[in-house]
Amino acid sequence: MSQAFDKLLDARGLNCPMPLVNARKEIGKIELGQVLKVVATDRGSVADFQGWAKIAKNVELVAQETESADGANLYVHYVKRTA
Amino acid sequence: MVEGLKDKVWTPEDLLERLESRDRFFVLDVRNRDEFDTFRLEGRIPVPAINIPYFEMLELGGKDEMSDSVVAYVEQSLANQLPSDLPILAVCAKGDTSQFVAQGLRHLGYAGANLQGGMKAWGKHYATRTLVESPDLAIYQVSRPARGCLSYLVAGSGKAVVIDPPRHLQPYLDLAGAKGLTIEAVIDTHAHADHISGGPTLAAKTGASYHLHPYDAIHPIDMQPATIPFEFIRDGQTFPVGQHELHAFHIPGHTLGLVAFRLDDKYLFTGDSIFIRSVARPDLGGQAAAWAPLHGRSLRRLIELPGEITVLPGHFSSLDEGDETGRFAASLNDLKQLNDGLVVLQRESEEGFIRYLLESLPKFIPEYMDIKRVNAGLLTPAEEDAATLELGKNVCALSQAYAASGGGRQ
Repeated sequence: MSQAFDKLLDARGLNCPMPLVNARKEIGKIELGQVLKVVATDRGSVADFQGWAKIAKNVELVAQETESADGANLYVHYVKRTA
Repeated sequence: MVEGLKDKVWTPEDLLERLESRDRFFVLDVRNRDEFDTFRLEGRIPVPAINIPYFEMLELGGKDEMSDSVVAYVEQSLANQLPSDLPILAVCAKGDTSQFVAQGLRHLGYAGANLQGGMKAWGKHYATRTLVESPDLAIYQVSRPARGCLSYLVAGSGKAVVIDPPRHLQPYLDLAGAKGLTIEAVIDTHAHADHISGGPTLAAKTGASYHLHPYDAIHPIDMQPATIPFEFIRDGQTFPVGQHELHAFHIPGHTLGLVAFRLDDKYLFTGDSIFIRSVARPDLGGQAAAWAPLHGRSLRRLIELPGEITVLPGHFSSLDEGDETGRFAASLNDLKQLNDGLVVLQRESEEGFIRYLLESLPKFIPEYMDIKRVNAGLLTPAEEDAATLELGKNVCALSQAYAASGGGRQ
């Protein structure tokens, strides 16, 4: 089942650290309780979003998914703004 | 945003040179903690390092841009931990994020540099060293410093045999091309557990034959036969190298099908039996008690060879095992004095040596069973999975040398 979200951030093709840098900026722009969906191609982003969500005081990592598109993997992160 | 600072970059080659020459520098590693614990930079002398994952710097530094966050984080939390009189090498997985870290450090006046390509590039960096070179006989040692893997290209009269090539084939293709050599045979001394072999693919690519001892073509845990094409190596078999011959010694112990090769009375390619400071572990097939006695007898067979013979091992545990020119080679006579395992072998009874082997086993590494599956053709990983499987330094030696080198997989 697909996860609900309020805003989409396309981070495909971006190398570390840009998916996370851009996600942090977007989180500042959405409302409390809203969810940002981040789509990345960088596999390292999976562990990095988990690590980030643990120390950041204003976000919760709601879900992570891996999707296959055109033979390449997409790493999808759902991040909720909590503060 | 921090701008206008010229990037200082160390290539993997620069890094190796500094590690080998005992240069003093400091590492700021911004990978995740488990990556840092599994695989870190090691030199002839310990490399001081600190690990702060980049997302912690970004979040706790609190700025929008990475390099600005680095500046803020270092000022708040790291300033008293970073040396002002040494180069600081920023290290990450692929060398992108560490660029921002190096920039931030330089902005603060530190001698920040970036490891180009990160640990990924370091993990597949190769260095080729000439051991002997004449038209009649040439031996090149190709090392993979991050993993402690050694392989060889042996050539005579324009023909070459490659021993134990890892999966990145370019160093051997380049070497053969540069020296005008035809690779005729590729040999794996055994089914490797710590790294993915390039043997079958190098053979396929060059039209060479590929050789493995049949005992190592059965996965020791799965009891499944290898699906890769290979020719059987027999004990006593010879492989011509121009006017010379490589002579096979079946020396079971580390694996059941381990084979060493003697080139005349001058060189002994020991695979994973005798290393420089230690001997191989007998437990990677999950049969330590059964294989340790075989290992002991095989090692006794090897040390009966002429003492002047030069041992060329399949691994090292520390760069410091290399000589001052970065070559990993020593006479059997010297090793009988200096190699922990051989010293014990000569001192102890057969039972005493077996006890020593079984008491010196490093931690068993579960990934090694999968790597053996890959090498038997029983498993085919995607490139990223292959790199992950192989991450970290090899742990094929007994624990003495391993502990002394102070790192690797914990």
